[in-house]
Amino acid sequence: MNVVVCVKQIPDPAAPQSFDAQYNLDRSGKLILDEADTYGVEMALQLVDKAGSGEVSVVSMGSANDLAGLRNALAMGAAKAVIVSDDALRGTDALGTAKVLAAVIKRDLPDLILCATESSDGYTGTTPVQLAELLGLPSITFAKSVSVEGSTVKVNRQTEAGYDEVTAPLPCVVTVTAGVVEPRYASFKGIMAAKSKPVEILSVADLGLGDETGTKGAREEITAVVAAESRQAGEKYVDEGDGAEKIVAFLESIKVL
Amino acid sequence: MYEWTEEHQAIIGFVRRFVDTEVRPHIDDLEHNGVPPYDVLRKMYVTFGLKDMAQENFQRQLDRKLGGEPSQERRTSDPAAQMITTIELCRVSPGLVTSLGVSTGLAAGTINKLGTPAQMQRWALDLMTLDKVGAWAITEPDSGSDALGGMRTSAKRDGDEYVLNGQKTWITNGPYADTIVLYAKLDDGSNDDVRNRKVLTFVLDKGMEGLDQSRPMRKMGQHGSPTGDVFLHDVRVGKDRLLGETEEPLGGGRQSAKDNFVAERAGVAAMSLGIIDECLKISIEYAKQRKLWGTAISQFQLVQLKLAQMEVARVNVSNLVFSHIERSLNGAVPTFAEASAMKLYSAQAACQVADDAIQILGGNGYIAEYRVEQLSRDARVLRIYAGTDEMQVVAIAKDLTRP
Repeated sequence: MNVVVCVKQIPDPAAPQSFDAQYNLDRSGKLILDEADTYGVEMALQLVDKAGSGEVSVVSMGSANDLAGLRNALAMGAAKAVIVSDDALRGTDALGTAKVLAAVIKRDLPDLILCATESSDGYTGTTPVQLAELLGLPSITFAKSVSVEGSTVKVNRQTEAGYDEVTAPLPCVVTVTAGVVEPRYASFKGIMAAKSKPVEILSVADLGLGDETGTKGAREEITAVVAAESRQAGEKYVDEGDGAEKIVAFLESIKVL
Repeated sequence: MYEWTEEHQAIIGFVRRFVDTEVRPHIDDLEHNGVPPYDVLRKMYVTFGLKDMAQENFQRQLDRKLGGEPSQERRTSDPAAQMITTIELCRVSPGLVTSLGVSTGLAAGTINKLGTPAQMQRWALDLMTLDKVGAWAITEPDSGSDALGGMRTSAKRDGDEYVLNGQKTWITNGPYADTIVLYAKLDDGSNDDVRNRKVLTFVLDKGMEGLDQSRPMRKMGQHGSPTGDVFLHDVRVGKDRLLGETEEPLGGGRQSAKDNFVAERAGVAAMSLGIIDECLKISIEYAKQRKLWGTAISQFQLVQLKLAQMEVARVNVSNLVFSHIERSLNGAVPTFAEASAMKLYSAQAACQVADDAIQILGGNGYIAEYRVEQLSRDARVLRIYAGTDEMQVVAIAKDLTRP
């Protein structure tokens, strides 16, 4: 079984961030593998391992100046990586990203495509389902567990109330939550071996894409970036003999109970 | 080499995540609750494939010995990987590195160097993989820096056997060691001055009759590394436990001890770097946040002076570590004096930086929660073990003034 994991190299969240005049995040510094993607890589490695054959590939879009994030996925055990890197992609929105990823993936359609539920820098959470639509494949989001039986993928899909059991025929696009598996540590040998694993760097032209990507093709526009409101002081409840009821009412209001 | 490669940075990333997840949350157990360090070290070995690498490394050394080559460990892997593990562990618990280094480096290393192939297979492999814990026992209550000359522990010939008597102290892993590499003076019944007698190297197993291992000693720092006494009362050993099965092993027991000092001293530089890195990081974060008279203390020149001096130490010690890695890759081994110079400077720098960190954090620096007090206590032994500062000076000066 072959699995493709869509991954993203993002600026280190621990470092200070800045934007250009068009509100694009500065990605010129050190890039790391989005932690949200490590769960998909791990899930894919486990599924391929269980299937007994096939391989895991990672597909990405963004700057190829720093490939450390992709190398991390390769160090964990992925066999190869493809990254579409092109100045023309600057300003690409979520749908444009999905088009680029779809163009790469359909060159050699795998049995399963895994994505994170959303990236840790963009947070639109829309690319995976757009990707599925472009590839004409079913999609299942928010997987808290994934298993493959024959040509069917079985997913426990996280919901507010618990989880739904969902199945779909392969090939399929599945987005995995952070709880799906515990990402492995790469071994020292794995890290060293990652150096010699293939990383294919493609341009927009290589994929036969044109104006549907980049700023030109973008249907989304970032009009402003504002700091999140700082946390407000909490609400005080004074116990006047009804403290317990107040607490229960509060917990019910935030749907904990 | 002046900076980490991309692969090194990946290793740093994964090891740091391991240390933050598996060691940092359990630091109180190691520091205050007497939990031995071995389980977490074993987990690290399995996680990063170091156990498999140790087995392969052992096999190479064994093959070389069977092929008749001197079993000096030849560099086949990147020495940076080991240095990185040392540095990252030392950010949180330098004691772990002490325990690990003594077991896999000193104990196993000595057996591989001096031992026969059978002795290597019997003891060294399990130590290198951490399946067993090793100790390296040379120091005695009345002979620390004068370990070889002043050694009183004796090995008296008795037919084909030796009878060992004496006491070793400050022995890392002593309380838990399954395998103890032990140095003793040959007592062959002659009237030779004890100081000049041959030093023999034996391997002992836990539980042997007459061998007692003390409980862990209470000590100033490095609580992550259990230290104890080893008592020998008429411990009877055959030649199979004498390394090399000869009283004249290659280079002799004295030389093997000295070779180990070189490796140990280079390792102390990496340990120091971990302590310095962590103390500097904590100090900078604290100085930026802590406000006095409405101003962050990082804006005060007396604090800035300390931070700048800490950074100078960090740059110097990291350069020592990088140059050591580069030289190792080229197959060069530092001289005794060079290793001593490296250790002297690094250990003092680590102590100074950790002490400055306490000062920058003030009252909080003295409170365990802020961790620099622990690193300061842990750093202190770097100026004592593997040769005191004073012995490093002697080694350096001796080399400089050699006729």
